[in-house]
Amino acid sequence: MSKSRSAPDFVIIFATLFLLGIGIVMVYSASAIVAQKFNDPFFFAKRQLIFALLGITSMYLTMNLDYWIWKRWAKIGFYASIGLLILVLVIGIEVNGSKSWLGIGAFGIQPGEFAKLGVVAFLARWLSDNQKQIVQFRKGLVPALAIPAVCFGLIMLQPDLGTGTVLMGTALVMIFAAGAKISHFAGLGVLGLAGFVGLVLSAPYRIKRITSFLDPWQDPLNTGYQIIQSLYAIGPGGLFGLGLGQSRQKHFYLPEPYNDFIFSVIAEELGFVGGSLVLLLFLLLLWRGMRTAITAPDLFGSLLALGIIGMIAIQVVINVGVVTGMFPVTGITLPFLSYGGSSLTLMLTGVGVLLNISRFSR
Amino acid sequence: MRVSNVTVRRRIFVALVIGIVLYTALITRLGYVQLVQGPWLQDKALKLWNRNIPFEAKRGRILDRNGDELVTNISVPTVMAIPVQLEDARETARKLAVILGQDEEKVYKDITKREMINRVPGGRKISTEKAKQIQELNLPGIEVVEDTQRFYPHGTMAAHLLGFTGIDNQGLTGLERLYDEYLKGQPGYVSYLADARGKSMPGGEEQYVAPVDGMDMYLTIDSTIQSFIERELDQAMVAYQPDDVLAIAMNPKTGEILGMGSRPTFQPDRYKDYPSEVYNRNLPIWKTYEPGSTFKIVTLAAALNEGVVSLNEGFYDPGYIVVAGKRLRCWKRQGHGQETMLEVVENSCNPGFVTMGQRLQKERLFDYIKKFGFGQKTGIDLIGEENGLLFHMNRVGPVELGTTSFGQGVSVTPIQQMAAVAAAINGGKLMKPYVAKEWRDSVTHDVVGRTLPTEVRQVITPETSAKVRYALESVVARGTGNKAYIEGYRVGGKTGTAQKVKNGRYVNGEYIVSFIGFAPADDPQILVYFAVDNPKALAFGGLIAAPSVKSIIESSLQHMGVPKRKNGIAREYNPALGQTRYVEVPNMVGLSMQEVVTTYDTLPLVVSGKGTHVISQSPAPGVKIEEGSKIRIHLGDKSAD
Repeated sequence: MSKSRSAPDFVIIFATLFLLGIGIVMVYSASAIVAQKFNDPFFFAKRQLIFALLGITSMYLTMNLDYWIWKRWAKIGFYASIGLLILVLVIGIEVNGSKSWLGIGAFGIQPGEFAKLGVVAFLARWLSDNQKQIVQFRKGLVPALAIPAVCFGLIMLQPDLGTGTVLMGTALVMIFAAGAKISHFAGLGVLGLAGFVGLVLSAPYRIKRITSFLDPWQDPLNTGYQIIQSLYAIGPGGLFGLGLGQSRQKHFYLPEPYNDFIFSVIAEELGFVGGSLVLLLFLLLLWRGMRTAITAPDLFGSLLALGIIGMIAIQVVINVGVVTGMFPVTGITLPFLSYGGSSLTLMLTGVGVLLNISRFSR
Repeated sequence: MRVSNVTVRRRIFVALVIGIVLYTALITRLGYVQLVQGPWLQDKALKLWNRNIPFEAKRGRILDRNGDELVTNISVPTVMAIPVQLEDARETARKLAVILGQDEEKVYKDITKREMINRVPGGRKISTEKAKQIQELNLPGIEVVEDTQRFYPHGTMAAHLLGFTGIDNQGLTGLERLYDEYLKGQPGYVSYLADARGKSMPGGEEQYVAPVDGMDMYLTIDSTIQSFIERELDQAMVAYQPDDVLAIAMNPKTGEILGMGSRPTFQPDRYKDYPSEVYNRNLPIWKTYEPGSTFKIVTLAAALNEGVVSLNEGFYDPGYIVVAGKRLRCWKRQGHGQETMLEVVENSCNPGFVTMGQRLQKERLFDYIKKFGFGQKTGIDLIGEENGLLFHMNRVGPVELGTTSFGQGVSVTPIQQMAAVAAAINGGKLMKPYVAKEWRDSVTHDVVGRTLPTEVRQVITPETSAKVRYALESVVARGTGNKAYIEGYRVGGKTGTAQKVKNGRYVNGEYIVSFIGFAPADDPQILVYFAVDNPKALAFGGLIAAPSVKSIIESSLQHMGVPKRKNGIAREYNPALGQTRYVEVPNMVGLSMQEVVTTYDTLPLVVSGKGTHVISQSPAPGVKIEEGSKIRIHLGDKSAD
């Protein structure tokens, strides 16, 4: 296993730090008004800066920690994830109707965020060890699916549809890349659709979410409220935006504008130009990340890199899709930009792993 | 142990492509929302952000033609609540409820509504004592602000004309409602962008649009003449206890209403204390009834204009005229005998007027009636005018033609009579009556708008009109209208007495007595109509209405500074010079009350007993008495004769 390490992918570092910088500035801009209740307009920005520094430190460490170590730690990480997910159901703190926070001192952590990385690492290990069986249904696909499904089930008990969707989506991308049969995927697609319909029928509030996304003006005060407020931010932004700090919708119209709806504030203040820049940076990241996955020296490295970059990409698509009204409202953060400790530090840790893999590119 | 293979790499590449496609879709969607939907979303969002704090405009005043204030504004305290500033909403509501006499729960609900500022129930336009009590409580979030309310310096004067406003100072009746648009002005506001909690967004620009106060309205009314009218109305109410009484004064040349009023009346700022019929019915334009003899002016004007009679032609009245086999009686049973057509007018002789109608024939008579404006609204700028009713042409036979000639069988409004008589005496022009004369800016007092007199049509020639004036002056100087005579003012006029009609039938014993008069006859400055409905004291016609008209005209002409004339028609008997007129007591025994009332409306009668006919009288028929002496009649059911 003695490979010669070269320099990490500079483009990934550049895109990540650029996004992180935009994120800190925009968290400040978006939260300054809301933070007045703490008598400190920098309340959220200061914390985000601390998280970013923590995350960059973690990224630097993992960037220099050769990624095979994660194959060893994957099993423990996975079981720890399951443990935390069960714990959060017992002693978790309920925020906005879902039990997704474990309080530790002044900061809380979200086991769901941790579980996403745990599943990616463990699935990469299992798939690379059992790649020959993946074309089989019972010996390959079913156990491969079982790994994310356990965590998905626990997350849906909180419930946290956003995190669950990202986790399951990432896992499916990895299983697909590992070589699963296309016919199996088609079958899964039908099954998934049936499951989706079942979920919707079992909880009527989900129907409302769907219809509100199809036509938010139908019920502008309740189900359509968040989408409409987001569109009121993005639409008036126009080509160049209202200018940094000039958002109107952050004045209590957008729910937590520094969090899930930060992209709305970016598009409002920096316009189509700023919004596109953010998306192009993510595109750059996607391209370099995927390139890292393709050129990784072994299958574990490939799948691990794919899992990390896939997770980021899926979150970006869902988050931006929600705030621009393409998808129904699902609570999911925008990587590197949204405020949040667990999300940011773990994302940067993931990027560190990705960077380490890039150092072994063939 | 490299296990990575081509399939894996190809599939990762597929995932990359899908990722690129999805990202491209996001950028496209972003561009669509920002660049295509942007302006539309901006409009909708502005509605969400934009808040207006209204500033009420001051309502325009209403003044008379000389600038005397008829309706003005006063400041009154109003209590408002600002929910976000309330400290203890429960306690605040409790205290307010006690002072304002409201339900505590309702007060609590209203003041805590999620608005920027709320009204407090029962807190609008309160007394200064209550306002002071509330201010002394020093409740956070409760403000006593200035609101305005209409004030009527002259009390009930011209109440029907002016109308009144509601709690929001919106015009509800009368001129207040008709001209609400001009009077109310344009409210101003401060507009600003608000955050989701209703506070002003920092950096958002504020825009102040000042309210435009309503315009001041100057009426054609002269408050002095109006006060003469109000005085006469009140006196008539006391003296005769009628069902109602109404009066109008007008400039006959222009159609400007100088005064208008009726009883019962009301206090505009306390209109809720009165039945709605009282404040909703403006009698001078709403009431329709048979005009009686005042209508003969129309017949006379038409006959003179068509040249079918001349004033000095002779006529013999035997006391009746036979029309289509039916006897239409003159009010004077024994008839006026041989007389001139001028005397026909002076004596208000029915057969004479039937003759005029017959010579005109029904088409021409009714054509004149319509040209004089009957059967349709005059178009005066007041709310609630009625049409009146004329015979259908195909239902007019010789009898209907005859009765119409002396004012029976038609139904008209007082204002129609005013317009028609004005046309008959002003040179022949039918003028549209009006009340709003001028609009002025409430700050600069510059004239913004003015109503000019509107000529509807020329009805008769100026020459005919001069003859009508002469004939009517003669009625007052020498005939049935003598109670309206004013030395030196050349009053012309005509009495009228009409039986009331209810549900299509005449009501026994109930009459509307009226007089219409103008002066000076050589150049009419004022035309006055006065009508008393069902006077309880049994005196009739010219005796009741004519003195009121005389009083209004005399006071008004002096007020207007109209010089006295010298060349008027001399009075036959002038009490001022100690001349006394003696009249022969007519025989009224056996006559019905209706005949007595329509016939002897210039005689002061004292009635006793109950019944439909006169069974005895004192003094006896044929006795000569001083004019104005009372004649006693006793009523009973008709004896078998």
